[in-house]
Amino acid sequence: MRYIKLSSENFEKFFNSLKALGKVYGPVKKGNIYSFQEVQRAEEMSLDYNRTMLPPKKFFVMPRDTILRLKNGRWENGINDEPFVLFGVHSCDIHGLKILDKVYLEEPADPYYRVRRENAIVIGISCMPDEYCFCKSLGTDFAMDGFDLFLHELPDGWLVRVGSVRGHEIAWEHEELFDEVTEEDLANFRAFEERRAKSFKKELNKEGLADMLDLAYNSPVWKKYADICLACGNCNMVCPTCRCYEVCDKWLNAYEAVRERRYDSCFMESHGLVAGGHNFRPTRLDRFRHRYYCKSYFDPSAGFNCVGCGRCDEFCPAKIEHVKVLDEVRGSLQ
Amino acid sequence: MTENPYISYDARILEVKDLTPREKLFTLRFIDPDVGEKFEFKPGQFVIVDIRGFGEFPISLCSSPTRRGYLQLCIRKVGRMTKFIHRMKEGEIVGIRGPYGNGFPMERMEGSNLILVAGGLGMAPLRSVLWYAIDSGKYEHIWLLYGTKAYEDILFRDEIIHLLKHGEAMNCSVKLAYEVESPSCIYLEKGFSDRVCRGVVTDLFRGEEFDVNNTYALICGPPVMYKFVIRELLDRKLSPGRIYMTLERRMRCGVGKCGHCIVGTSTSIKYVCKDGPVFTYWDALSTRGLI
Repeated sequence: MRYIKLSSENFEKFFNSLKALGKVYGPVKKGNIYSFQEVQRAEEMSLDYNRTMLPPKKFFVMPRDTILRLKNGRWENGINDEPFVLFGVHSCDIHGLKILDKVYLEEPADPYYRVRRENAIVIGISCMPDEYCFCKSLGTDFAMDGFDLFLHELPDGWLVRVGSVRGHEIAWEHEELFDEVTEEDLANFRAFEERRAKSFKKELNKEGLADMLDLAYNSPVWKKYADICLACGNCNMVCPTCRCYEVCDKWLNAYEAVRERRYDSCFMESHGLVAGGHNFRPTRLDRFRHRYYCKSYFDPSAGFNCVGCGRCDEFCPAKIEHVKVLDEVRGSLQ
Repeated sequence: MTENPYISYDARILEVKDLTPREKLFTLRFIDPDVGEKFEFKPGQFVIVDIRGFGEFPISLCSSPTRRGYLQLCIRKVGRMTKFIHRMKEGEIVGIRGPYGNGFPMERMEGSNLILVAGGLGMAPLRSVLWYAIDSGKYEHIWLLYGTKAYEDILFRDEIIHLLKHGEAMNCSVKLAYEVESPSCIYLEKGFSDRVCRGVVTDLFRGEEFDVNNTYALICGPPVMYKFVIRELLDRKLSPGRIYMTLERRMRCGVGKCGHCIVGTSTSIKYVCKDGPVFTYWDALSTRGLI
């Protein structure tokens, strides 16, 4: 890894230089929530944000996405391949994108996802956990790759980790904005990371989690929470790794139609429905449990399907807490 | 942009045949001969039928790869999309993409006996296996145990009756169980008293002996059928690794992205569309929710 320093006074110049690479999206505060929006000036962004409502997946797997257009009876690709910059992505969300990569880039790769991924410049930013974060338990609190540049806050600027060839190129082109890292900067970086590590209030016991959950298939805790759950699917929408989608065709006029993909949720009754009306997950209990199994699936090469971002907790109208459910399920085994 | 796996290829409907009041057999051929040439599949695989502007649905291939030049799909009228295709006529065009899924391991089973257990619409994918096995001549003996509701519901009735009469010459024994009595069934039962009976598909196992070390079972039918058929096979000491079943889920994309066909728990997640739809009974034992 290459480490360089961006001083506070150069920050705005650096931000402005990114606009030459494409549209820049950053975290913006709207009311009480944050979201990634197109930004023109650095001060529009709230870089000390806790989490955006929709994770950066919305740029790659879109809530509504026209994938094909029917013209003269044939499908044509409806793809937009403009480059763009995602500014200020947290480490957990970078890990979330890596999990999506595993699914969408595996052969046959999803062409829409791949083009958007290739066109995206990802600039990470350090953060302080709030009461919902448990990324440290899952090892997603620090990103080693999956970004082009990663900015770590220092008292007088940013320590920048360069994570890709494109990151190197950006730093190279704007050499004048960056300084060498001093011993003092490194000490500050370490101090920040230590302070951050101590700030986590929530912890997930992941020891043997996958096996433990499998054993607890019939635990009464599932039913307890399924009864509280409103089955609204909010947790799916805001999750950085949930990616189920539904497809539907729409006529625009008598001659033209589009095929549209949109987010689907495993809490919807139609999710496990097959032709003829048989449903493989007929009850809310089945669907509730399925989500937890899907999120806690442990892939030996990629880890869990959850990155501990805390969105499902923050945006759950029934105030169901992910870690608490898993802890209770574990408790019910003893 | 490179090839888009979600775009289907044009195929012309060559023939539409009524199989039962609910099911029709569609025979299709790709318009582009290159596509037809490259389209290779294994019994047990499925395709996604694309009716442009209306939607897509997954369906098993029911023709055999040994019979080249066309594809056949047996489609039951159950929903919006299948109702639509049932109204389509010869000469019309649909899109086809695929084939998807793993299919049955036909090569691994060469030289062995095959027991095909079909329930209702489950006959469709197993017909592909049946004709592949008969045409290739690489299998010891083939049993087809087929459970159906009534005489009118027997899929590929002409073929089944033909095999009842002449199957032994092709190393194939067909047995049929029906639930609803009718004059036609009684007539069949009179003609083939040892092979046609009133009952359920598991009744057809009665009196059958097979060499468990040289036999594979292939099952397809409604979800409720699997448990009973598997019990029957395990009672005869057939190894779970020799029991193959093909499963149905809501496969939207066919390539392991859309997530609708995910089954299993935290220790074992499977996509039915790409890890299956053919699974062994070992898979079912280690992946909850598979059957």
